[in-house]
Amino acid sequence: MCCVSRWLALGLILLLTGCQDLTDDLAPSGADKRPAVQAGSSGGRVGQLSPDFTIEDTLYTPHSLYTELTGADAVVLYFTMWCPICDSHSSHLRRYVVPEFPNVRFFLVDYVDDSVAASRAAQMANGYTDFTVLADVDDRLETLYDAAMGTTVVIDSTGIVRMNEDYKNGDKLRQTLESLP
Amino acid sequence: MTGRRFLRRMALATVLGLSPVVAWSASCCGGGSSSSLVMPKFSRAMVAASMATEHYDGFWDSDGTYREDPPNSDLNQYRFNLGYAQRLASRWQASVSLPYVWNSNRYSGLDSHTDGLGDAAVGFWYEAFDNIKCVWKVRNWADLEPAIYLGATLTVPTGISPYDDVSNNFDITGRGFYRLDANLLLDKTIYPWNATLALSYGKYLERDVNREYGNYVEPYRKRLGDRRLASASVGYTYFLESMDTLTFTLAYSHLEEAAGRIDGQPDPSTEMLKRAFAATVALATMDRDWVLKGSLSHAIPENGWGKNFPVTNVLSLEVSHVLR
Repeated sequence: MCCVSRWLALGLILLLTGCQDLTDDLAPSGADKRPAVQAGSSGGRVGQLSPDFTIEDTLYTPHSLYTELTGADAVVLYFTMWCPICDSHSSHLRRYVVPEFPNVRFFLVDYVDDSVAASRAAQMANGYTDFTVLADVDDRLETLYDAAMGTTVVIDSTGIVRMNEDYKNGDKLRQTLESLP
Repeated sequence: MTGRRFLRRMALATVLGLSPVVAWSASCCGGGSSSSLVMPKFSRAMVAASMATEHYDGFWDSDGTYREDPPNSDLNQYRFNLGYAQRLASRWQASVSLPYVWNSNRYSGLDSHTDGLGDAAVGFWYEAFDNIKCVWKVRNWADLEPAIYLGATLTVPTGISPYDDVSNNFDITGRGFYRLDANLLLDKTIYPWNATLALSYGKYLERDVNREYGNYVEPYRKRLGDRRLASASVGYTYFLESMDTLTFTLAYSHLEEAAGRIDGQPDPSTEMLKRAFAATVALATMDRDWVLKGSLSHAIPENGWGKNFPVTNVLSLEVSHVLR
């Protein structure tokens, strides 16, 4: 009995100590470790000037970032793969955020489907035909903004990235849009 | 398209199902309806090992509408769980369990295989009874008294979560939060019938977050919503010629989590609901020291049976050994 306990304890210790990243959750840090962004640099991080891009939506209509920004306060990109959390975010976005900012261009970005047709099918199956969905079939936007599912990017009318992080409860997005010049 | 980040997130969704929905419905007699880490009365210790395979079959959206996964999707998770329970006193027992998780996903033609340690659990149980409550015949009111267990379980975030450095691997296997559950388990056996009712209420502890999926973000405080679990089961035991027992159990479980909080503000994106049925067959030796158990948990892929959660079927096989 005693031996069994010892071996189990030893096994657990080895498992725990052998796993990287473990302490990140056992003792989480609240330190701000975001890398500094050089003023005027180009890229997808907050504070950088976003490069232009042109990408087709699910109806094969091309959209260019800086063309969309013409006459708009900002462009919002929400990265979706049509899963439960995505749906929760998208539904919240549609219901509570979009109506408050009529002069902002909102796009869903489908970065998992590998064709425009598949992306359109997913859009329709999930009930988001009222959104413009960009089909990121070659991962250009995913790479540019280092995006994950739920990543929400706000680019203001001058092309500066104002937000690039998970949608969470939508508060950060709303605050960002409210603070636009 | 790499889709690696999506797959990590999907892995996170899968680990939501790691919690022991019906894992600790026990029998004070041993070898009863089911059980992982609640050991029978008068035993010194118990070791349990289980293997589970969970297959994903679409999801319920935030309105409770069932939606299918995209064509060519095949999402699976495999878990090996090792548990040990130790009696501390005549009415007290403690347990620890640790899962190892493998994710095997194909989504829109993308393949991913990841694995890692899951979230560990440490539990303490108090048995509010001194004598075995299983009876063969009801002779008086006292024979109807159930075995009552009161417990507390601490979930420890030993798994790989979205808040770890996961830039290179598809390795999310945990939620990243401590959680404390208060548990109540009622178990009554009047041979050959058995019934259990399990209730659990869990609170996640708030934590700092400064990184999401490998990218550092502006730090914030986050807490997942309170978790409620109710599970009820009915079982029937056949006594074999050898006096080994074969117990068939049907269970229903209701699991929900309220909206979380981010910097004190509501976060509805993690709010969820899942209802599921489970059928279990347990073969126990005559002395109830060894129990072999197979279980199938099935969620209904129809509207209204869940919210904001994947629909899954779980097939598990467990063996446990009680040390007297």
